[in-house]
Amino acid sequence: MSLLHIKDLRLGFKTLAGQVDVLHGIDLDIAAGEKIALVGESGSGKSVTARIVLGLLQETRTARINGTVQFDGQDINSMSARDRATLRGTEMSIIFQDPTSSLNPMFTIGNQFTEVLRRRDPKLSKADSHVRATTLLDEVAIPDPARVLRAYPFQLSGGMNQRVMIAMALANKPKLLLADEPGTALDVSVQAQTLTLMRDMVVQNGTSVLFISHNLGVVREFADRIYVIYRGNIVEDGPTDALFANPQHAYTRALMSAVPRITGVGIPEVPEVSDDFLAPRISHGDAL
Amino acid sequence: MTLLALNGLTKTFETPTGPVHAVSDVSLNVQAGECLAIVGESGSGKTTIANMILGILAATSGEIAFDRQTLSAKRSAKQRRRIQLVQQNPLSSLNPKRSIGASVRLGLDVYDIGKKSGRWTAVEAALDAVGLPGNMRTRAPASLSGGQRQRVSIARALACDPRLLVLDEPTSALDVLVQARVLLLLNDLRAKHGLTYIFITHDLAVVRNVADRVAVFQSGQLVELGETSQIFSAPKAAYTRQLIGAVPVVDAAELNLRNKLAEGV
Repeated sequence: MSLLHIKDLRLGFKTLAGQVDVLHGIDLDIAAGEKIALVGESGSGKSVTARIVLGLLQETRTARINGTVQFDGQDINSMSARDRATLRGTEMSIIFQDPTSSLNPMFTIGNQFTEVLRRRDPKLSKADSHVRATTLLDEVAIPDPARVLRAYPFQLSGGMNQRVMIAMALANKPKLLLADEPGTALDVSVQAQTLTLMRDMVVQNGTSVLFISHNLGVVREFADRIYVIYRGNIVEDGPTDALFANPQHAYTRALMSAVPRITGVGIPEVPEVSDDFLAPRISHGDAL
Repeated sequence: MTLLALNGLTKTFETPTGPVHAVSDVSLNVQAGECLAIVGESGSGKTTIANMILGILAATSGEIAFDRQTLSAKRSAKQRRRIQLVQQNPLSSLNPKRSIGASVRLGLDVYDIGKKSGRWTAVEAALDAVGLPGNMRTRAPASLSGGQRQRVSIARALACDPRLLVLDEPTSALDVLVQARVLLLLNDLRAKHGLTYIFITHDLAVVRNVADRVAVFQSGQLVELGETSQIFSAPKAAYTRQLIGAVPVVDAAELNLRNKLAEGV
């Protein structure tokens, strides 16, 4: 059974000029322990999909959400706002693009860890929380965790903050981790290190992942399966190897050709918009 | 011909915890018409070098010569206008309260380029050169897409009729499809206007496809300088191999190359 089951998910925003449709019927499944990537350009609907899974967009008055989003057997859309809030930070968590700006600059890393751990265990003492946080930081290979717990985010490097974010996001052993362009704000080498770290951590914990990115190159070594999204439609999906070996959809091919190659084949001419991008979905079989 | 020469360029910041050597004794020449990539991780000194070339920061020691003239941080408007900057994030580098046309025009007014009556025409020509319609000039940056905004930043730099463009991570904030289009535009503009580029980035895959030569920096020091094809076939410094090894790759040929270079570490 899928941990996350999305069926015919539709999203529109009510505006003064009428409804603007953003998602046109998304189908997506994540099995327990599976690492999934959702790849597409800015404005394709990747981040709003994540925000619906987290139950955040449901709180936006202008959002019109239809379809099924089942998490661990429960329907997220029909839940109360309070129940959805209970899931966040415990059963599901998120890592954002820029680690330094998503941590609170006014509190030490230690205090922010306590807040996170108390979501699961409200009566946790400060001393116990520091012991747990030290272990967690140790697991993400942070040297001198005691110093980091006393530090404010701006006193740490971007790579260090990203490790802290990974440790926090996994602190309560969530079933699902959402990662929205993690590391895009970091250097290529630091990004590669943090992605390897994140992969090792989720494999160790058996966490399922929904990884959002615009760069197929970045997800290749991370994801088990890939969904390609364009203008609110899934256009192609399949196991990572199959998709890279044989990309079928015109949009997937354009996305793939746009990634600069270290073999130096030049910058490709990519079409602005093509009718072929709107061709029906292609599935490379079921890896579940 | 050498357009820009850095000679023993050094920048040291004094901090409460002691001096920080951001850039140490860097010497290199930039040839007219070439695209020189400056690569390295955060903190390697890339942006500090750019700021000294632009005259935003004064060097602690060493010399910058542009077109055989020595340039200090205190330079004339005439000298300043020939070196222009395109920054990483076009949303924060364009004034949100100004129309994009007014942003592009600012350089023309500051450097007093051309007759006042002809400046809006010049603005429209600059927008046209980067593939934006001239009538877009009344729009605010917020109403444009990321790729369009970066085109505006490029138009703003071009309008000043520069000889050297310092491109500081010009496509890092863009997604891959938009990045490809902006890189193609930059290639075309360099050929068409005879421009010289200093292209600062940490993305080695972009460098491979746009730069003629590559300068690799680590902790403020120049660790390797060479032709792009040489850097990617036989990098000398371990640090260069490490940087190439971190690039996400898509196809089998790239994977082979990356593995081959990694073995040399």
